[in-house]
Amino acid sequence: MTARTGLDRRSFLTLTAAGGAAVLLSAAEGAAWAARPRKERTRVYVLVVDGCRPDEITASLTPRLAALRAAGTAFPAARSLPVMETIPNHVMMMTGVRPDRSGVPANAVYDRDEGVIRDLDRPGDLRFPTVIERLNERGRTTGTVLSKQYLYGIFGERATYRWEPAPLVPITEHAPDAATVDALIAMVDGPDPDLVFVSLGDIDRFGHGDLTGTTLQAARSAALLDTDLQVGRFVDRLIATGKWGSSILIITADHSMDWSIPTNLISIELLLSARPELANGTVVSQNGGADLLYWVGAADRRDAALAEISSVVAAHPGVLEVRPPADLRLGPEAGDLIATCRAGWRFSDPSIVSNPIPGNHGHPATEPIPFFIAGGSRRVRAGATSSAQARTIDIAPTIGALFSLRAPAGGYDGVALTSAFIR
Amino acid sequence: MSLRSRRDVLRTAGVATLAGVAGGLASGTAAAKPRSTSSTTGFLHGVASGDPLPDGVVIWTRVTPTPGSTPGSGTGPDVQVTWQVSTDDRFRRVVAKGATVTGGARDHTVSVDVRGLAPATTYWYRFTNEGRRSPIGRTRTAPAPGAGVASVTAGVVSCANWQAGAFAAYRHLAERDDLDVVLHLGDYLYEYAPGEYQARDVVVRPHDPPVETTLLEHYRRRHAQYKTDPDLQRLHARTPFVVTWDDHESANDAWSGGAENHDESTEGTWSDRRAAATRAYAEWMPVRFGPDGRLYRRLGFGSLASISMLDLRSYRDQQASSPVDSGIDDPDRSITGTEQMTWLLEGLSSEAVQWKIVGNPVMITPVRFPSTLSTGEIAAVRQLTGSSGIDGVPYNVDQWDGYTADRHRVVRHLRDRAIADTVFLTGDIHSAWACDIPADPLTYPASGDSVATELVCTSVTSDNLDDILRVPPRSASLAVESAFRAANPHVKHLDFDSHGYSVVVVTPAALRMDWFALDERTDPASPARLSTSWMVDAGTQRVRRV
Repeated sequence: MTARTGLDRRSFLTLTAAGGAAVLLSAAEGAAWAARPRKERTRVYVLVVDGCRPDEITASLTPRLAALRAAGTAFPAARSLPVMETIPNHVMMMTGVRPDRSGVPANAVYDRDEGVIRDLDRPGDLRFPTVIERLNERGRTTGTVLSKQYLYGIFGERATYRWEPAPLVPITEHAPDAATVDALIAMVDGPDPDLVFVSLGDIDRFGHGDLTGTTLQAARSAALLDTDLQVGRFVDRLIATGKWGSSILIITADHSMDWSIPTNLISIELLLSARPELANGTVVSQNGGADLLYWVGAADRRDAALAEISSVVAAHPGVLEVRPPADLRLGPEAGDLIATCRAGWRFSDPSIVSNPIPGNHGHPATEPIPFFIAGGSRRVRAGATSSAQARTIDIAPTIGALFSLRAPAGGYDGVALTSAFIR
Repeated sequence: MSLRSRRDVLRTAGVATLAGVAGGLASGTAAAKPRSTSSTTGFLHGVASGDPLPDGVVIWTRVTPTPGSTPGSGTGPDVQVTWQVSTDDRFRRVVAKGATVTGGARDHTVSVDVRGLAPATTYWYRFTNEGRRSPIGRTRTAPAPGAGVASVTAGVVSCANWQAGAFAAYRHLAERDDLDVVLHLGDYLYEYAPGEYQARDVVVRPHDPPVETTLLEHYRRRHAQYKTDPDLQRLHARTPFVVTWDDHESANDAWSGGAENHDESTEGTWSDRRAAATRAYAEWMPVRFGPDGRLYRRLGFGSLASISMLDLRSYRDQQASSPVDSGIDDPDRSITGTEQMTWLLEGLSSEAVQWKIVGNPVMITPVRFPSTLSTGEIAAVRQLTGSSGIDGVPYNVDQWDGYTADRHRVVRHLRDRAIADTVFLTGDIHSAWACDIPADPLTYPASGDSVATELVCTSVTSDNLDDILRVPPRSASLAVESAFRAANPHVKHLDFDSHGYSVVVVTPAALRMDWFALDERTDPASPARLSTSWMVDAGTQRVRRV
C-alpha cells in the first residue's frame, strides 16, 4: 500500500488487488486512509448492474444475484425514470430528485451556450447536492467506484474516496467488471467507507452490441454470468473480512435494455428533411430510445414549429409518443420536445447510420429494473417481497433513512423504502 | 362461448332427462330443489354481496312478499325491506342500516350500495320484511388504496349450466374460509330451453321457464331458478362476488347487434331481447350496475392488485364468418369498443398497483388449430368452440382471435410500456389453460418473450371435449391437448375435460392458480381434487408449473 499527495491537494493510494493488479484510489483532502473504528456501524453498498433487466436475475443465469434477492427484500415492480439512460438515473439515485431539480435529464443534451451536443459528464452539470456530499458533511465517509468514464466525470470528487475507472475498454470507455470489483474490494478492504456507490458496466456494454439481442442474447448472457461472479466475489469478501453482518446492499439497475432489428430505425432529421424550414431550426440529441429536440430557429416560429415537428414525428410507426419534457419533469436542459420509440425500435440521428447498435434504452420499454435490498445486516428484512413500485429516485431517501440524514432543501422527490428494513 | 348450431345438433342427437338414464348421473335431482321448499314467501333466493370497495359493498336479496309474487310475474305489492350491516354475526355492532322499497317493477329484488364502511373489514348483513328475516350474509370490503396487502385470494368460476349438472363447485368454494372474493367470468346462467343444451344427452335438471329465454319474464325466472340452488346460495352468502357476463346471460355468441342464437324473424328484435337480459341481470346480480350503465369496471385491492372486469359482448362487432375471413384483422372491428379499450389500457398503465388482473370473458391468447388431429377430434373441437378446424388458422373467432387488431393494441401497449404483472383470468371455453401471451408468436419459440399471462378456469358444469367425444375423461382428449400445445408453444397447460373451479392467490411475489376438478359434475355431493397448479412469478410474464 502506497500513499501520496497530489499537486491538486487530493491524496492518492495505490492498493494491490486480489489478482495482483494495482488499484489507484484518490481521497478528499484530509481524509484518512484507514477506516475509523466504530462499535456499531452500517455499511451501505449501492450496486448498479448497468442495463440489467429484471427477468435476467435467475437462479441459472445469475445465481448469486438471485440468492441475494431471495434472501432480502425484493421490489419486482421497480422502474427507472425518464430518460432511461445511465447518467440521469445514477444522478437520481444519489440525489433523490427529478431532473428538473438536478439539471441532468439525459446522457447527452444540446448545450445551448456552447452550441454543441455533449454528454452531461462534468461535475458542474449536477446542480443538486447528492447524498454523498451530505453524508460527508455529517462526518460519514463515502466512496464511488463507477465503471464508466462519464459517470466518474459527473460525480467527480464528491466522494471521500473515488476510483477512476481503469483500464478502459476502447470504444465503450468503461472498465470491465472484474477491474471494477477489484477496486471496490480494495476500497472496502482499505478506507472502508460508510457508503460506496458502485456501477458495473459490462452487461450494458455487451447488451448494446449484442447482435443476437432480439432472440438468443448470447453475448449478453455471457456478460451476465461474469457480472454475477463478480458480485459474488464482493459478497464473499465481505463475509471473509467480517463486514457482512453490518452490510446492506441495494442492488438495482439504471435502466434495462431493448433490442431492435436493423430496419427498425427512426431518424428524425430524415423525417424532417422534406421540411427544411423545420429541419434547419431543429437540433436532435439522440439518446438511443429517446430523442431530445431543441428548437434553435426563429423565436417567433417556435410554438408553431414545435407543433408541426411533433405531428411529423408522431406519425412515424416506430414512435410511441412526442411530449414536452416538462411532462416528465426533465427540465430545460432536455429541450423542447422528447420523442420516445416503441419497443423494438431505436432512434438514429443525425443519420440512419449514426446508431448502428442493436441494444438501446431510453424509451418506456426499458423502464423495468431489478431492485432488491439484501445483506447480512440485521436491519434487512429477509425473504420479503413488496408491491411498491421502487424507483431509482428512492435510493437517496433510503440511504438517508439508514443514516438518519435529514432531507435536502425542498425535500426528496423519492421516498425511503423503509419496508425493506426491520427498524 | 360459441355453440354454433347447437340447437340443430341437439334436435337430432336425442335427449333424455335424468330420470330416464341409469348409472353415474343418478344423484343430481336433490340439488335442484330450493333450500326452503316449505315456504312460499320470504327470502327464498338467498342473499348476496358484490363489488367490494374500500368503503362499501353491494348487498342483494329478493323478497317474495306474497305467494303470488313469483319471479318474472311482475305482480305483488310494493314492500319495504330494511337492511343492517354489522361487524359481528349476531348484529350487536350494527354500523350501517336503512330501508328501501321494492316491488314488481324490479321483480322484488333489493340491491343496496352500502357506503361508509371500513377497508379490509369483514361484515355481516341481513334483510327484514314484515317480520321475516333473510339469511345472514358475510362480506368483506377491499383494502384501502395504496395499502400494502399480503395476499388476495379469489375463487374463479364460469360456465355453470343448470341443465348439465349440480353446482358442487360452488359448494366447495363455499366451504373454504380463505376467499376474499369470487370472480364469476360469465355464463352464470344459460338461455336454452330444456333439451337444447345439457350434460351430453342428459338433462340433469330442466330449466325454468321451459322455453328459451327471450323476454324479461323469462330472464327473471331463469335468474330466480339459478338462485334457488343451495350451493350457489351458500356461496353468495359467504363471499362477495365480482361478476361480468359473457354471451349466455343473453344469447349464444352475442354481439352488439345480435347473436348466433337469436332469430329476429321469430324472437323479436335483438335490442328488446338484450334490454330484457340486461335488466334482469341488473336486478338479480350483486353488482354495481344499472341497465343503462356500463358493466366494465375496475376494483382495487390496495397496492397489490386491481381487477378490471371486461364486458366483451355489449360493444363488439359481429363475429367474423370464419377464421379465414379477412375481417378478423380489420382494424375497424373491435371486441371491446373504443371507450372500453381506452379505459383498459389506462388501467393497465397504472403505477398504483402491482398486479393488473383482467376479468376476461373470452380467451385473448392466440391459439391456432393444429394439423395433426383426426377428423373426429376436429369435429369435436369444432363443436366445442364453433371453430372451422382449418389447420393453422385461429380456432375460435368468438375469442380475441377473431379481433386481432384489438389484441394487437393490448399486446403492443403492454410491450411498449413494459407493463409487468398483467394476468388475464378467463372463462368461456369449458377447459383449463395456462398460457404465456407472446410479444410475437413467430419469435416466441426462440425468444420466449411474453408480455402477460392468461389463466383459464374450466366450466362448473358445461360440456367439454370428452363430453362431446363421448369418451371417459382424460383419454382421447390427451392427444388433442398435446397437438394444441405443440402447435402453440406458448400454451403450457391445457385440460379439455375437467369440470370444477379455480382458486387464485395473489401475493407481491407471485400469482398462483389452482384448478380443482370435480369427480362427477352431476352429483351435488361430488368431491373435488386438486388437478394442477400454475404460477406467475412477479415480473416474469411467464407461467410455470408449481
